[in-house]
Amino acid sequence: MRTTLKPRSATARPSAEDALAIARTIAPSQPPAQVTDIDRPATLNLRFRSSTVAALTARAKERGLTLKQVVSHALADAGVAVAEADMEDRTPRRRGG
Amino acid sequence: MPVLTVASSKGGPGKTTLAQVLLASLAGDLRVLAIDADPTQALARWATKTYEGPPFEALAEPDETKLAHLIAARAEDVDLVVVDTAGFGNRAATVAMTSADVVLVPSLAGEADVTEAEKTVRLVEGLSRAARRDIPARVVLNRVKRTTLAKHAAGEIASAGLQRLSATLSDLVAYGEMTYSGRLPLAGPSVAEIAALLAELRAAGWVPTSSHHHVTA
Repeated sequence: MRTTLKPRSATARPSAEDALAIARTIAPSQPPAQVTDIDRPATLNLRFRSSTVAALTARAKERGLTLKQVVSHALADAGVAVAEADMEDRTPRRRGG
Repeated sequence: MPVLTVASSKGGPGKTTLAQVLLASLAGDLRVLAIDADPTQALARWATKTYEGPPFEALAEPDETKLAHLIAARAEDVDLVVVDTAGFGNRAATVAMTSADVVLVPSLAGEADVTEAEKTVRLVEGLSRAARRDIPARVVLNRVKRTTLAKHAAGEIASAGLQRLSATLSDLVAYGEMTYSGRLPLAGPSVAEIAALLAELRAAGWVPTSSHHHVTA
């Protein structure tokens, strides 16, 4: 049976996946050529009637969410592109509290 | 078909100028594709808004994942792909070097340029080993003046064990004018320099001598 002898080195251009994997292996700390803007937090103050705030508070308590989450989820359901971070409860917690 | 990447981890050695010279010189005879992986898009902007020679396709893609797929998808459609990269170590440039059949590393004569040229060549050597594939890298001395400094830089490149093209680009106004006029210089010493550059690249097999595709002149 004839032995198949493989070439010492590949000559074909690596696939896209292989090129990416090689680049990441050889130079893992390199940054992307273009850095997308960081999605920084910004403040939006809204004034509601007391009854609306009470209704929002009741809904938040009922669902175990923050007021901001209730609003964010409703906006997302309405098709607004709400950032993932705004959908989470990120209230600072006291240690051991 | 060959993929020729122009790269250097230093800004300002003439990567885009070299890419412009190659594309404008070859577009009449070959089907060439320019890929601008530099977020500044200087090459793509020049190709679409300023360039006046035989047509070639120019695309801009600084995202390394999309760039890797773009090179893989288009390399067989054309006679030559020329990829211009950003002047700092970045993922898109590394992917473009990994996918290349030759990497040209322009360098000025200054110490920082030669040092960064060496870093770029060493990176290509590492990528070549990892890919188990020969990826030649050649330094191209740019904005050369007939000075002791230029000779010293050539000596430093040689003593670092870096290979460089015999062809060089001099410090000529014609190359700067090309970036505004969109036209290759038709007279003067730059004509002979560009011819020597192309001849060397063709002799090495990094630039095809004839087209395998229909070229729209």
